[in-house]
Amino acid sequence: MKTGFRVFIAAFVALGASWCGFVLAPVLQLGTAKQETVLNSSDTYPLQRTGDATLGLQVYRASGCAACHTEQIQQSGVACEIELTSVGKNPDAVEKQINAVFAPSPFFGVNFITNDQNIPYGGPPSIDISHLPQIILNHLEKSKADAVVGGITSAGGKAEIHIVATGADISRGWGIRRSVAADYLYDNPVQLGSLRVGPDLADVGARLGNANWQLLHLYAPHSVTKNSAMPPFRFLFETKKIGDAPSPDALQLPKELVPPVGYEVIPTDDAKNLVAYLLSLRADVPLYEAPFTPPQVSTNTPANKK
Amino acid sequence: MNDEPKISDSQQSAEPAAARSTVPMWIFSLTLVLIYLGAVYFDHHGGWFNPQVYSPYKNAEELDSYQPKSGAAEFIAQGKKTYDMICAACHGPDGSGKPGQAPPLAGSEWVNAKGDRRLAEIPLLGLNGPITVKGQPMNFSSGMAAMGAGLSDSDLAAVLTYIRSSWGNTGGPATADDVKAVRAIVAGHGAINGEQELKTIPE
Repeated sequence: MKTGFRVFIAAFVALGASWCGFVLAPVLQLGTAKQETVLNSSDTYPLQRTGDATLGLQVYRASGCAACHTEQIQQSGVACEIELTSVGKNPDAVEKQINAVFAPSPFFGVNFITNDQNIPYGGPPSIDISHLPQIILNHLEKSKADAVVGGITSAGGKAEIHIVATGADISRGWGIRRSVAADYLYDNPVQLGSLRVGPDLADVGARLGNANWQLLHLYAPHSVTKNSAMPPFRFLFETKKIGDAPSPDALQLPKELVPPVGYEVIPTDDAKNLVAYLLSLRADVPLYEAPFTPPQVSTNTPANKK
Repeated sequence: MNDEPKISDSQQSAEPAAARSTVPMWIFSLTLVLIYLGAVYFDHHGGWFNPQVYSPYKNAEELDSYQPKSGAAEFIAQGKKTYDMICAACHGPDGSGKPGQAPPLAGSEWVNAKGDRRLAEIPLLGLNGPITVKGQPMNFSSGMAAMGAGLSDSDLAAVLTYIRSSWGNTGGPATADDVKAVRAIVAGHGAINGEQELKTIPE
């Protein structure tokens, strides 16, 4: 076999190259990943799961949840919103600046600054000065948003840019930003999933944070979600004879599912752990690699300055 | 019946062999052009193996430009840091105060005042004597020292903004310019003497 050595070298190079691509490069990129800091905050992310949630991951894995659910939110774009917070002393000048954005360009009378279908070309947004702060423009590119805010500031007004992640998954309400490597730091094994018979669960703890709802949904999906394709996971529950007093854990079931008199449906430890894991799935904080402006939680109204 | 192709002896013996020939120039050129285009595409979209660059961002510069510059949130975070270091020892990390030591800030009408001038004077000058907060008269063994006098204008403004916007408080933000102005007004003044004097200061 004259070419034996050459075949060996060729096979070695081919396998070695794919090993570098599939193993070495990811380890170099992400092998040293650590907790990171949430944007504009001193909080760390992600937090280590609690013990029951860590066990719940194994229940999730054993129950085959990943066969129908993914844990990866996709994001196709990023856009800017402009929130007008103050019109200053000269509201007319500010309005003029905003309207200038909508003035048709000399080229074919088309306005290139916004591609939002909701805003008619050439039509300025109506601004109700008595209801500030107010989102006046959205779906802008960063450079254009900067230009508009620059104009408003020069006219004495104040405006803030909000960063908004966009994409099909995000408009479905499955999350607020894309999934990044940091989200999976404490998952072992990572339950990415590849098929979406059910919705994505990367942010389910923030979307559906009620533990009782989750338990009921596991026991009888149809009772809380009509037309659900999910099979009931009754083996995670026990129907038990009521002892001295009804158990505080017992499910509050709808009429057609109520167990016989004297019995109650109690979630097993597995069910409780699984729900703890589901509630720990929260990809709802802004990170450096997936920035967005978090929705305002504070309802503070700016007080009049003296 | 005899459909088998006839193979002549000469065909059998003549094994076909490919002659050596050079690779055509156009394949070389095409390969080079494709490699070049691939490199250009990678340069624009690859993020240079930076683990923090994900699609839809093309590179670290673009990602940087999209970082939300929420000035207000950062300012409040700065205020919280200073508050936790200096003020929280007496007023509590949740602004609930300590009986006999410091009045609560959460829900306090003094903190939620219209303007921030009167509130700014308290850390700048200190405050002695009893004070009524949320309708409850409070007596303290010792007054508050001028804890904020040593802070920079911006740090003190951040603390004021933090306490006026946390724990359910609804006061407006304070700016470094506000604090600077107040500091200039009260220069050389001693500690504020109780609620009576505090009330003479405009909000």
